[in-house]
Amino acid sequence: MRNDVRERRVAKGLSQADLAQRLDVSRQTINSIETDRYTPSLPLAIAIARFFGVTVEEIFHADHN
Amino acid sequence: MQTTTKTSRKYLATPIFGVAMGLVYLVALSVAGQPVWGVLALAIMVAFSGALLLARRRSETVKGLLDHRDERISAIDLRATAITALALIAVILVAFVVQIARGQSGWPYSMLGFVGGVTYVVAVICLRIRG
Repeated sequence: MRNDVRERRVAKGLSQADLAQRLDVSRQTINSIETDRYTPSLPLAIAIARFFGVTVEEIFHADHN
Repeated sequence: MQTTTKTSRKYLATPIFGVAMGLVYLVALSVAGQPVWGVLALAIMVAFSGALLLARRRSETVKGLLDHRDERISAIDLRATAITALALIAVILVAFVVQIARGQSGWPYSMLGFVGGVTYVVAVICLRIRG
């Protein structure tokens, strides 16, 4: 699932480690989400969206064919 | 509210279990009259436990598996466990078939397969009830 986590994180001037610490997950998890290798659970997706002050739909984009 | 500083010693659980199993091997092999093999088994388990603790310092994955797992590490652990179970089931089935083809009873592979099958069914029922 495509997402804008990397763009929004960089815009806030945060490293992956910073964001991981804020969300209480590993840095690898943030990296996997940013590179679309891992789709987060709904609670984590909501936590990410809330952290950036947006809705889940604004940061995660389901690809409908 | 404290949210980041963790003083938990949970990461020691697996290495301590490893050393404890090494001691069990030592006692079991000593009872069997093979204390040298017992010491060797204990040394292997102590080395494995020590390697885990060292790897925890360098590897986020090992650290996650030992004491700081998030949902991704948990998912990886779950899938790795499932793959391990599949490998064991395959070995048990092949060993069972080879044994009965040789005219033997199939023991203990029949019992292992029975325990595995019953465990799976009970787990599915329990997990389904929980939602």
